[in-house]
Amino acid sequence: MIPKIMITSISAVFILLVSGLPASAKPAEDQLGREIRVPDDPKRVVALAPSITEIIFALGQQHRLKGTTQYSNYPAQAAKLPKVGSYVRLDLERIVALNPDLCIAIKDGNPKEVIDRLQSLDIPVFAVNPHNLESMLQTIQKIGGILNASQIAKTLVTDMRSRIQKIDDLVSETDHHPRVFIQIGISPIISAGTHTFIHELINRAGGINVAAGPNAYPHFSLEQVLALAPDVLVITSMARSGAYEKAKKDWYRFSNMPAVRDKRIYTVDSDLFDRPSPRLLNALEILTRLLHPELFKDGL
Amino acid sequence: VILNLRHHIARLIWISLILLAVLFIAFSLGLSIGPTQSGMRSAFSALFSTHESNSVLYNIVWRIRFPRVLLAMVVGATLSLGGLVFQALLRNPLAEPYILGISGGSAIGAIIGILLGLSRFPGICLTSFLGSLGTLALILLMSTGKSIIRKDALLLSGVMVNAFCSAIIMFLISITQDARLHNIIFWLMGDLSMTDLPQVVILGAILIPCFILVFIFSHAMNLLLMGKDMALTMGINIKAVTITLLAVTSFMVSATVSFSGLVGFVGLVIPHLLRLVLGSDHRFLVPACLFGGAAYLVLCDLLARTLPQQGEMPAGVITALIGAPLFIILLKKSRK
Repeated sequence: MIPKIMITSISAVFILLVSGLPASAKPAEDQLGREIRVPDDPKRVVALAPSITEIIFALGQQHRLKGTTQYSNYPAQAAKLPKVGSYVRLDLERIVALNPDLCIAIKDGNPKEVIDRLQSLDIPVFAVNPHNLESMLQTIQKIGGILNASQIAKTLVTDMRSRIQKIDDLVSETDHHPRVFIQIGISPIISAGTHTFIHELINRAGGINVAAGPNAYPHFSLEQVLALAPDVLVITSMARSGAYEKAKKDWYRFSNMPAVRDKRIYTVDSDLFDRPSPRLLNALEILTRLLHPELFKDGL
Repeated sequence: VILNLRHHIARLIWISLILLAVLFIAFSLGLSIGPTQSGMRSAFSALFSTHESNSVLYNIVWRIRFPRVLLAMVVGATLSLGGLVFQALLRNPLAEPYILGISGGSAIGAIIGILLGLSRFPGICLTSFLGSLGTLALILLMSTGKSIIRKDALLLSGVMVNAFCSAIIMFLISITQDARLHNIIFWLMGDLSMTDLPQVVILGAILIPCFILVFIFSHAMNLLLMGKDMALTMGINIKAVTITLLAVTSFMVSATVSFSGLVGFVGLVIPHLLRLVLGSDHRFLVPACLFGGAAYLVLCDLLARTLPQQGEMPAGVITALIGAPLFIILLKKSRK
């Protein structure tokens, strides 16, 4: 009997070593509706976008995180993690070298070829697809689910919903809706169309996005922006070598544009505005303050 | 005559063996060095681990670097051979698939394929080939009939077609406003990073018959270089040889462009260097360009993925940085 048991257990260990499979895996449906198998307790996670890194930290699961992408600078600890290329240009070899048991990818940005290659190397890839505030909240819950942090995710999402509700209530008090142009690119001038987070932020903050349209990131000429006559102009800045301050100055040449006349040109931190992470709510609060300073008189 | 032939074959074998050795060294370096290097020795041990194990190093060496090195080999071989053929046909040292607009035409086809969301094979391969055939037809139309082997007419048509292609590429890029743009721009700079083994096998299966065909025509290229009259008296159908070689080369180039984008100057540098060393007999130059071009691009790609601290740069940037200055030197020397 004993030799038989030994043989069985030795061969079991051997099979485990050879196959290298995790002890157990659970099926999970990602945000693209794909059924994938993720480890029961993921220990070596690589986040393939700055927003995913931020979500993992917000869920307090950073001990699982072994790698992230370039520009993953928030929170400060994230900058110290190994980098696997930028999220639009992932470095396959660096990802594989981290020996991940799970990669979390984002549909809008990560190249599909890299995702396919990772899967062909038997690395499970859980894809998220946040495309508006609501689906971003689902993204947080999904990631919480696979990282065994459902309860934390639930609390976080509840808190975020109440912050959104506060802004909604505040904005509903006013009938005034300033026309807003958000400039996310300087040369050429690029703004955000209807199907973007920025559009949704402007709407919720009680403004009108003058760049609304079918194109996600439409280009504009100077002339077109002047013709749109925005009341507020917001430049999302990456705080880089003063280029954005200069862009702000340049607008002041056009004194008959309402935003210039009323001195309502602002620069904001682009990391808050273009990452589908919990900090998007900071962006919403900042934008609401910029569009409706009058609603914040009583120091909210 | 028999002695001569034996001498010829012996020389062919020597040249091939030496360049194959160079290629083997480049190949081993390409497999064992990368951005996540943990030491040469461990990489070499992974190189020789025969059984399928799931170790990280095995995956990196055999499933990431190996297909990439193979791709660099076929692309490098194709491009340097393409340069050699065009230089022989046009009797012009400046000739190269890029200068003639063949690459540009393939790139237009490939970008349209990418924008249509086609798969790389056969979709993008096909649109890319159609693009290169389109530009080839345009060039041949512009320099019709007898002037095909008049080098200036063909070259000048090529330059203009190329300028037009660049304009169309810029147009396509400027109307693209989505995430695919990033990929297209990198791919345009010559990118070998995205490949897996099945794709390289397909590319190799397409290209190897073309290599053999060009080798068969190597003697005809020698005669063409001696001049039109000489070729005619030796019983060469100039027009048939020219058109066949142009079509085969365009096909090869468009296949590589659809896989790796625009990798420039390989077709200028390698044939020139080899001609300096080996002389101008194409029966030696064709195999030499195959192995030399393959080794060259493997080494350039190795630099491209190990030089930057963060991520990697497109291989086309390296080939241009090395190729352009070297070519200027070669050109100055040849004028003296």
